[in-house]
Amino acid sequence: MSPLRLFRAEIRKLTTTRMPLAFLAVLAGVGAINASLVRWGTDFDGSKAFISTGADQQSLMAFGQNALLICGLFGAVAGAREHTYGTAIWTFLASPRRARAVAAQLAAVAAGGAVLGTAGALLTAIGVSGAAVTTEFGFLVSAGGVLRVVVAAAFCGAIGAVLGAGLGVVVRNAGGAVTGVVLALMVVPPLLVQLSADAAPWVPSALATTLSGITLEAAGAERQAGVGAALAVLVLWAVVPSVAAFVATDRRDVV
Amino acid sequence: MVVAGAVGTPSGPPPIPIEVDGLTKRYGSHLALDDLSFVARAGRVTGFLGPNGSGKTTTMKVMLDLASADGGGATIGGTRYRDLPDPTSVVGALVESNAFHPGRSGRNQLRILADVDGLDAERVDEVLETVGLGGAADRPVGGYSLGMRQRLGLGCALLGDPPVLILDEPANGLDPKGIREMRDLLRARAAAGGTTLVSSHLLAEVELLADDVVVVDRGRLVAEGALDDLRTETVAVRCSDPSRLASILEGAGANVNRDGGELSVQGLSEEETGRLAFDAGIVIHRLHAESGTLEERFLRWTATAGEASR
Repeated sequence: MSPLRLFRAEIRKLTTTRMPLAFLAVLAGVGAINASLVRWGTDFDGSKAFISTGADQQSLMAFGQNALLICGLFGAVAGAREHTYGTAIWTFLASPRRARAVAAQLAAVAAGGAVLGTAGALLTAIGVSGAAVTTEFGFLVSAGGVLRVVVAAAFCGAIGAVLGAGLGVVVRNAGGAVTGVVLALMVVPPLLVQLSADAAPWVPSALATTLSGITLEAAGAERQAGVGAALAVLVLWAVVPSVAAFVATDRRDVV
Repeated sequence: MVVAGAVGTPSGPPPIPIEVDGLTKRYGSHLALDDLSFVARAGRVTGFLGPNGSGKTTTMKVMLDLASADGGGATIGGTRYRDLPDPTSVVGALVESNAFHPGRSGRNQLRILADVDGLDAERVDEVLETVGLGGAADRPVGGYSLGMRQRLGLGCALLGDPPVLILDEPANGLDPKGIREMRDLLRARAAAGGTTLVSSHLLAEVELLADDVVVVDRGRLVAEGALDDLRTETVAVRCSDPSRLASILEGAGANVNRDGGELSVQGLSEEETGRLAFDAGIVIHRLHAESGTLEERFLRWTATAGEASR
């Protein structure tokens, strides 16, 4: 069974339901919220100092963290629904070597997450830039800065989607998988930082921020990972549930 | 559903039997399959029968590598399913009639499988017509009736035009016309040399459809063979000395039940029974093979297996 054929089939699975449209709507909503913040929001003192520099605006546009979470949920639903609806049966009939099918699914979900992450970053960039030009500061982010934010969001979207899909395949239940993503991205990282402050630069949100070209200094962080290390460690966050998905799928009966 | 022949019959396949050998499967302490062995032959439709929970679906899932066996195994043409290089071009399977995303159209469901199999959109259209879903192909499966989902499942199984079909309760939810069309389709494929294993609760339908039957109960084989042979397996005898003839027949390995002056013999043919009586000098008053409906036989087989297991 050709891996490319399996990948194509998995992409078609993702694009033949309304789920991606629902996530695009969420992304558009996030972009609109950001645009509203820029247009009408103020600091406590009534000023708009929070968008007064290019770095401030890039920080506002940075979509990596959002991409991780939103695409994590996308992946969780995509991974779990295969088992909820039993459609995994057809896949495993065509590809009884299940590892190949899981690899194709994770690859397709990663591609989907990258597209959603990119779309989210672009929608946010459009919203923020459109609103910023109506303010006294104008739009101050360089083209390179916008590109950095978009590329980071694409990468974080792919990673989030794989993490979510891995959990979805293991849990085989959309509700459980969504809960797992929230735990993995929003509950466990702060607990890790509580246990050891050294973990702070390595939790997903900090890594996404790093990749988006934003310094963590403003947030009071003493250390920040390098870009290469951030890429590698973020991949590790997705590798763990992916390996669990491969092992679980190979060992379990399809029900 | 278009009657078979124009589309979807295997084109001169080599004979590919399904062989199950000593299959054993446990779910915790529950023994779902107990050393089950049988063969579904090429060019035949084999009915796979058993009460609810007897292990039919589990057997099919193990055959298709959707479930693992604790002992024994199953092969298709001598090869394990997972070792088939392009499995869906050899085996078409329907094991779960409702395994579809409700928001996806029937056409897209088939196109996904066509992508995996490397088939084009024309084949998808062809199969949709074959199973009678051409008009509903672009509607979400969530709006399909049970019968329509069953047709879609059958379409998925037929997509790769495989010579072997393994179908779990394919007639569930089909209307009489659909059942008739499915029967004609499966008969045509068998006539073309294909191998078909069909589980069903509809015994009357199996009588019309199957050449052979395999009956399981509590995971064990209780009967296997050509349907006609199994239906006429009992020989009824009236004779001058029933007690002596019963002893002789039991000595020859038969299972004999006495019903007043009549003996009911299982395990020997009419000819063998008559020969043994003749050799013993016992006068036969009446001797004939008893036919029964498949339902009568099925209830007897499963009742006997139930008693044996108690």
